Amino acid sequence: MTQRVKKQLALLNAREYRNRRADPPMDPKEADERFEETMMGEAQRFCYAVSCEKEAVFYGEDLFGFNRYCKGAISRGNFGNVVIDYAKILKSGLCGILDDVKRNRAHADAYANEFYDAIETFYAACFDICDTYRSAARKNGNDRLASALEQVPRHPARDYYEALVMLRFLSYILRLNRCTLLPLGRFDVYMKPYYNASIAKGVTREEILELTELFFISINFDTDLYIGIQKGDNGQSLVLGGCDREGNEVFGELSEICLKASEELCLIDPKINIRVNKSTPISLYERGTKLTKQGLGFPQYTNDDIAIPYLTSLGYELEDARDYAMAACWELIASGCGADTPNRHRVVFPEVVDIATRLDLVECKSFDEFLSRVDQRLEAHCNNLMKKYPSTYNDRTDATLLSSFISPCIERGRDAKNGGAKYFNVGFHGAGISTAADSLCAIKEGVFERGEFSAEELVSAIKANFEGYDEILKKVLSYPKMGNNDDRADSMGAFLMEKAVKYIHGKPTPSGGVFRLGTGSAMGYVTFADKIGATADGRLAGTPFASSFSPSPIAKLRGPLSNIKSFTKFDMRKICNGGPFTIEIHDTVFRNEEGEKKVAMLIKTFIDREGHQMQINAVNRDVLLDARDNPDKYPNLIVRVWGWSGYFVELEKPYQDHIISRTEFTV
Amino acid sequence: MRGRIFSIEEFATFDGPGIRTTVFLKGCPLKCTWCHNPEGQSFSAEYVRSPNGCLACGACIAHAARRADGSLLLTEASKNACPRELVRLCGEDVEVGELCERILSNSDIFHSTGGGVTFSGGDPLGQSEFLLACLSYLNGKTHRTVQTCGYASKDVFLRVLDHCEYMLFDLKIMDRAAHLAYCGVDNAIIHENYSALVRSGVDFVTRVPLIPGVTDTAENMEAIARFISGLGVQYIELLPYNSMAGSKYGSLLREYKPRFDPKRKLCWGSDIFKHYGIVSKKM
Repeated sequence: MTQRVKKQLALLNAREYRNRRADPPMDPKEADERFEETMMGEAQRFCYAVSCEKEAVFYGEDLFGFNRYCKGAISRGNFGNVVIDYAKILKSGLCGILDDVKRNRAHADAYANEFYDAIETFYAACFDICDTYRSAARKNGNDRLASALEQVPRHPARDYYEALVMLRFLSYILRLNRCTLLPLGRFDVYMKPYYNASIAKGVTREEILELTELFFISINFDTDLYIGIQKGDNGQSLVLGGCDREGNEVFGELSEICLKASEELCLIDPKINIRVNKSTPISLYERGTKLTKQGLGFPQYTNDDIAIPYLTSLGYELEDARDYAMAACWELIASGCGADTPNRHRVVFPEVVDIATRLDLVECKSFDEFLSRVDQRLEAHCNNLMKKYPSTYNDRTDATLLSSFISPCIERGRDAKNGGAKYFNVGFHGAGISTAADSLCAIKEGVFERGEFSAEELVSAIKANFEGYDEILKKVLSYPKMGNNDDRADSMGAFLMEKAVKYIHGKPTPSGGVFRLGTGSAMGYVTFADKIGATADGRLAGTPFASSFSPSPIAKLRGPLSNIKSFTKFDMRKICNGGPFTIEIHDTVFRNEEGEKKVAMLIKTFIDREGHQMQINAVNRDVLLDARDNPDKYPNLIVRVWGWSGYFVELEKPYQDHIISRTEFTV
Repeated sequence: MRGRIFSIEEFATFDGPGIRTTVFLKGCPLKCTWCHNPEGQSFSAEYVRSPNGCLACGACIAHAARRADGSLLLTEASKNACPRELVRLCGEDVEVGELCERILSNSDIFHSTGGGVTFSGGDPLGQSEFLLACLSYLNGKTHRTVQTCGYASKDVFLRVLDHCEYMLFDLKIMDRAAHLAYCGVDNAIIHENYSALVRSGVDFVTRVPLIPGVTDTAENMEAIARFISGLGVQYIELLPYNSMAGSKYGSLLREYKPRFDPKRKLCWGSDIFKHYGIVSKKM
């Protein structure tokens, strides 16, 4: 790490810059109301937000600028969680996009013209803020940035540094317009031409590394202003490796530099994803494991062998499927042309099983009969979710500025909410699969196979949160659980997934897209678990489900091998919206190269067995417990929460507790 | 045939090549004062108490029995008395076939990563007939490693060697009197068995636990280096003292009495080994 990087990192980690921000001139909600509910009104609202950014803010030897002056002038406009067309924007510059606008006006209808007018207004404000930064940079003697801003964002980037400045600028304006979740997409794909151009000009790889590190630091400033569900949930995921649109592997020098930068900096952003397949060499997993060792909860791995067929089965063109990136957490999304909403709702598997247990179980004469009741309720649950999806996007999400960066919105003269993007499919998470499967297994074993208690007794026990039913609780806890490679539990998970796929996968949405299903939970493992009482698997009321595709937190596990086997028994090609198999490994395993290599083997084992997505967390329970009690000692302790990493001490207690509970059975 | 184990660890990362499952057999002929697996020392099943979530209510102690030396011992009544169900029996009797089939459920993963099974303990040679039955059962089915302190009759040791592909052999203290004092037994048989191992042609690694002021002294390292280089061994692994070694004693209501200063800085002795043409690796 160079001195310059060290200085910027120290500045960031001191967090003092947060105190310097100005309050907005008026309440953001009040400000929103002053503008019309039209695309032009949205553009004018953005102009107001820009006007509140009174001056350029630089931190230390900032090479990028574009830091927030004001805490946030407006509150509307949070459309996001899509990967914008970075390649096109870098190649054509905003002026190139304006040329497209002009060209397309020739055959534009009224709606398109309104869209185009709004874009021009948006971009004029963008140029204003850019010019403010350019003169301020010049005045501060920051000639490098000033010169770059002569070129970008108006014109195409010509080298790696200019391309980074463009990215920083895009992030700034979109965030200023209240886009919270803003993924960085396939960085090593769209940045490669600019990396090559800089190398050809004689820029060294060390200089590229320094620039990359400074850029990564720059996207961590202000992340406290972009809060999804919790601090840290800001969607800045970045994808490395995988195949290009033609099917050739892209992992290369630049990908390597990104990994190194992330490893050296230990910051929550960008959250690194690596795309892999069964031919991925063990060396790449070993490389990734060195990053895992830092305890950041990434990289996360996604298996191309599953993801690409999944996307093509939903109607994505093969080239677009090959070019998938990650939305904020783990959802697959088409790069540059997808306005998918990959996390619209959740199939809450434990809720379905729980309702069937409480209402139907007592009447059922056989387990098969009960299972068919569960199936009926699952179908109703899925249909209900699909019905909830409105024919248009939520009115409160404005997408005009973002749409100008998604293809082919300009050509179509439509914003992404109204058919401008190539893809606008809708994804559902699938939360708590292990708790649901374990519950079914407990009912099958306890009531029907072993006859250890009656259906009535079990229902009374869960209604009483097992209070006064110690014997039943002990028994259900002892039954097979998902994660131990026991078919009795795993087959229940397979049943639920297969049925949910049947009801959701590829079903048409009212707006012409299709529904997709995944295995993610997002915050559902806490929020939905709160709403459901005790469950038949022995989970007491208030206990969370597993995060995403993992064994229940109450399951006593044999170990990672059985766990992997349990979770690679299903064909994931129809249920790959996103949601990783998650495993916690004690940080001492990483203490030498031998341990690191074995973790790499473990990941490769999961991928080679056709697992779809995996996240590995290096954890130390003692450190987490100490951090919960002594937050001041650990301002920079980073943990993986669900699809994102955040600072442990900034999380609310239920999330802290869940993370600690996950570490109970670490190896 | 049944044997007594106290743990099965999937994905044991320091017990031989590749991805492995390690089975811990209960009972050890040695009583090393630094032992970090005290629950592995006794051949009998014992009740242990998990510290996570303990209310310190004293119910388990109230139902404890006394050992011959006067120290307390958790009992089944302690187990039943614990309101948090933190007391459990450590030591499970398992059938050879049942245990081996469980191990083999992951043999495909062992195969693809060059891994296998490791028998550890305690010391697995302490239950030699059970160990040999398991090793025979697994013959040809997966890669077999035995981790041992080498304290066993020559006959047993040679039979085990004949039934495994890999051995992790611990050498601790070369001086006989000090070995007796710190580990509770004479080390002559250990050295004989080690020599037999080297001659056997079975693949192995020599490991030395570095115990501050006990095994990491210049004299001991020099003696180890001289001994193994004399047999033509050129590689050794050094395991640093585990500062958490004492953490499990409380679970057995025992006191950790290491008889050395656990905080003393370790000597790695790299130069000594180098001098004897031995590559030493810090683990």
